[in-house]
Amino acid sequence: MRSGELREPGMCRGWEARVPDTPATAPRRFLTLGLAAFAICFLAGCSGGISESVSTAAKDSSSAVATARLALKQDMDGKLTRAATATTLDDAQKEVETSRSTVQKLSPATPADRDTQRQALDVLDRCAAGFFTARAAVSADDGGAAPSTADGDRALAAAQDALEQLSHMVGSR
Amino acid sequence: MKRLLGVALGVLTAIGGFVDIGDLVTNAVVGSRFGLSLVWVVGVGVLGICLFANMSGRVAAASGRATFEVIRERLGPRAGLANLSASFLINLMTVTAEIGGVALALQLASSVHYLLWIPVAAVAVWLVIWRVKFSIMENVTGLLGLTLIVFAVALFLLKPDWGVLAGQALAPAVPAEETAPTYWYFAIALFGAAMTPYEVFFFSSGAVEEGWTVKDLVQSRINVLVGFPLGGLLSVAIAGCAAVVLLPAGISVTSLSQVILPVAEGAGKLGLAFVLVGVVAATFGAALETTLSSGYTLAQFFGWSWGKFRRPAQAARFHLAMIICMLVGIGVLATGVDPVLVTEYSVVFSAIALPLTYLPILIVSNDPQYMGKHVNGRAVNVLAMVYLVIILVASVAAIPLMIVTGAGA
Repeated sequence: MRSGELREPGMCRGWEARVPDTPATAPRRFLTLGLAAFAICFLAGCSGGISESVSTAAKDSSSAVATARLALKQDMDGKLTRAATATTLDDAQKEVETSRSTVQKLSPATPADRDTQRQALDVLDRCAAGFFTARAAVSADDGGAAPSTADGDRALAAAQDALEQLSHMVGSR
Repeated sequence: MKRLLGVALGVLTAIGGFVDIGDLVTNAVVGSRFGLSLVWVVGVGVLGICLFANMSGRVAAASGRATFEVIRERLGPRAGLANLSASFLINLMTVTAEIGGVALALQLASSVHYLLWIPVAAVAVWLVIWRVKFSIMENVTGLLGLTLIVFAVALFLLKPDWGVLAGQALAPAVPAEETAPTYWYFAIALFGAAMTPYEVFFFSSGAVEEGWTVKDLVQSRINVLVGFPLGGLLSVAIAGCAAVVLLPAGISVTSLSQVILPVAEGAGKLGLAFVLVGVVAATFGAALETTLSSGYTLAQFFGWSWGKFRRPAQAARFHLAMIICMLVGIGVLATGVDPVLVTEYSVVFSAIALPLTYLPILIVSNDPQYMGKHVNGRAVNVLAMVYLVIILVASVAAIPLMIVTGAGA
């Protein structure tokens, strides 16, 4: 639009207004930069160490394993359909995989942290194995060499115990 | 008799249509982590949505035009654009979450992966919007959504310790395992879920679709003031079921499959069948409403011809806008993003956008040029002002709490 040309009043009226970069805007800019710096420091302060991440992963995985066990129990009691059980197990397994991936991506700074990470990965692998057994039990037809639903529940119970021990270990540090 | 039946049907569809994926997920998450200690937020949210939905319905009935159309005209294009931007983006997130919710519910019924159900759900939504009459669409999904009452039935069948539940509800406290910021973060999420902006825009546009006049104001009031609170009780039942079964087992809800487990525990396979029908109906109904709301808000802002009462050819841009919104939603879901995560964020962003949605409604409903003698009374205005303060506080606190709590992790 050429200078001096009049705009028709309408949707865009007033959009062309610009705040000139005058000394009056300088304090505002400093305030914005200050707030941004504060936010970065705050966010950096919020991020916990490796123990906190492992603790969160153990808590999330424990919830997932408890979900899977509840679904298996309901399946054994005839309260849940196979489709719903299988979906619940898949969702729970995904949760454990996410936790494992989070723990695996951690960068331990000390030998103690490295040890914590290794132990957490071992426990999460046991969880994954438990889910594999449970999922195989739900997918399999009756009979044959496939594990039973009870086998799946036992495998998950063992994984749950291991997760509890991991939580205690991380919590005591 | 016919009028009485109409009122009953309106109330029933309001109950069945109250719960959507946001309510399902948020109430179950809150119940599994905080028991019933956040149930007061549902009360606050339900009262708020009753207040503003009633206002919105009154604007439509008194002016014969949808709320958004009046806001655009009364407050001008810039204020209208702020309202449109906030509402439309939240609405788009909600469309995505609802279509994902339909797909997740169908996966639970069939064990076929939800990504394969997404195109099916989207095509079904489009077909219903394209072909089915507004009233039939509303009534069928609303009535089928009533099957979610199975949550209340399951809660009774679970034989909980009612004293403990009442204690949690009446003397709210932050559980030992949770922090105060997390408690308040979920309070805001629950508030956002109850007061989702699309509900008021859909309600007022629906009033125009069905040709309401001031004579229908009584029925509109009954629908809102009876139907929504009863729908709120359904939300409490969802949280109650989670509090009784999932909380003691140490299960924090992160997926839709966990939401249905308490119903199966209490009511077995029959209950499971009911809850699956209910979840599909609730999410499908909400997918229709949010998709339509996307078209309504855009068309009403830009002055396009809109409405299902017109043939699609007469409201081509309105229908095209809805198709594009659905395609965007499908595109987002196709990336593999978790629909439950989208839902969790959509309810919090709803809370953030609430002032931009509800302040204009309050202004318009006080304008005698549009409302005539049906402007807000003093009591309604006082209550609305109290709510605007609550909404503003929730909106300002939402993002800092989201950062501090890691989105409630």
